[in-house]
Amino acid sequence: MGARGITPPLIRRDCPSALRQAGLLLAVSLLAASTLWFVRGERLPLRADPTVYELEVPVPLVEPARALALYDEGDRLFVDTRPGAVDEIVPGSFVIRAASFEDDLWITGEYIDPEDPVLLYGSGDLASVVLVADLLLERGFEDVMILRGGLNAWRTAGGPTAEPLREAGEAP
Amino acid sequence: MKTIAVLLGILCRAGVGSVFIYASLDKLSHPDGFAQAVYHYRMVPMTLLHPFALLLPMVELVLGIALILGWARRGAALLGGTLSLVFIVALSIALARGLDISCGCFHTDGGHQVGMSLLVRDAVLLLACLPPLILERCGPEMDSIFRRK
Repeated sequence: MGARGITPPLIRRDCPSALRQAGLLLAVSLLAASTLWFVRGERLPLRADPTVYELEVPVPLVEPARALALYDEGDRLFVDTRPGAVDEIVPGSFVIRAASFEDDLWITGEYIDPEDPVLLYGSGDLASVVLVADLLLERGFEDVMILRGGLNAWRTAGGPTAEPLREAGEAP
Repeated sequence: MKTIAVLLGILCRAGVGSVFIYASLDKLSHPDGFAQAVYHYRMVPMTLLHPFALLLPMVELVLGIALILGWARRGAALLGGTLSLVFIVALSIALARGLDISCGCFHTDGGHQVGMSLLVRDAVLLLACLPPLILERCGPEMDSIFRRK
């Protein structure tokens, strides 16, 4: 009987309860975000790679699964940009390195035209592959893509690899 | 007076909740794109960039759902108001620095350029968080249903 006559106030001034609720919602969000991250197929790594953000990537980055589909279609030329000697390449790919760009492009010139769609890959470090992409764009190549994660990601995705048939710069 | 206040509370809950849920969806689907958008503000340290890009959209989704359902409504409104304030500060700093970037508010690919209109929008969002935060009654709520039981 006593409580029936009391009307609740219009405005509530209970700050601690709002803070407690906010904390609970944050905990729920953290749990849900962790679960979503854990079950996701392609996870965003928890530690950001500064080179991905600090480099201005002038061409589209392609996920390994998409690169595999492009490889199977066979319309795109694959180009290895890794500096130094390589013991493993994507079968059928050419080699063009930033350090020997002019020579490599001259050697492969018989096989590659600026009109050809090209997919570049490196060792996962974007710096050298972006340099080659920049140089190819300067030379009039219009359809250039970069494989995200390089040859390691390609291998992890089940992409085929082979020993290089000839010296760097020569077409297989 | 109380009826008007309750109606205002319901309207704000539904409006703010829907905005936050909508804002979270594209970011949850494309965390890498959202991380890129956050990076362009140059305010989050590199070590926290990806954890931030993964957590923030989920906070938006959870608080949006909580506001609409009326579960921990005041906490959700407090979080929503705090986020709106953080967005206002981030946008102001970006404007002061003269950054020509996409805001990353609703879409990770393209979206609105940072500008005064976005500041106004976030200020409205901040104000809309106040009624669900301070009102004692705010329409039908999951909390009150459980309390009655």
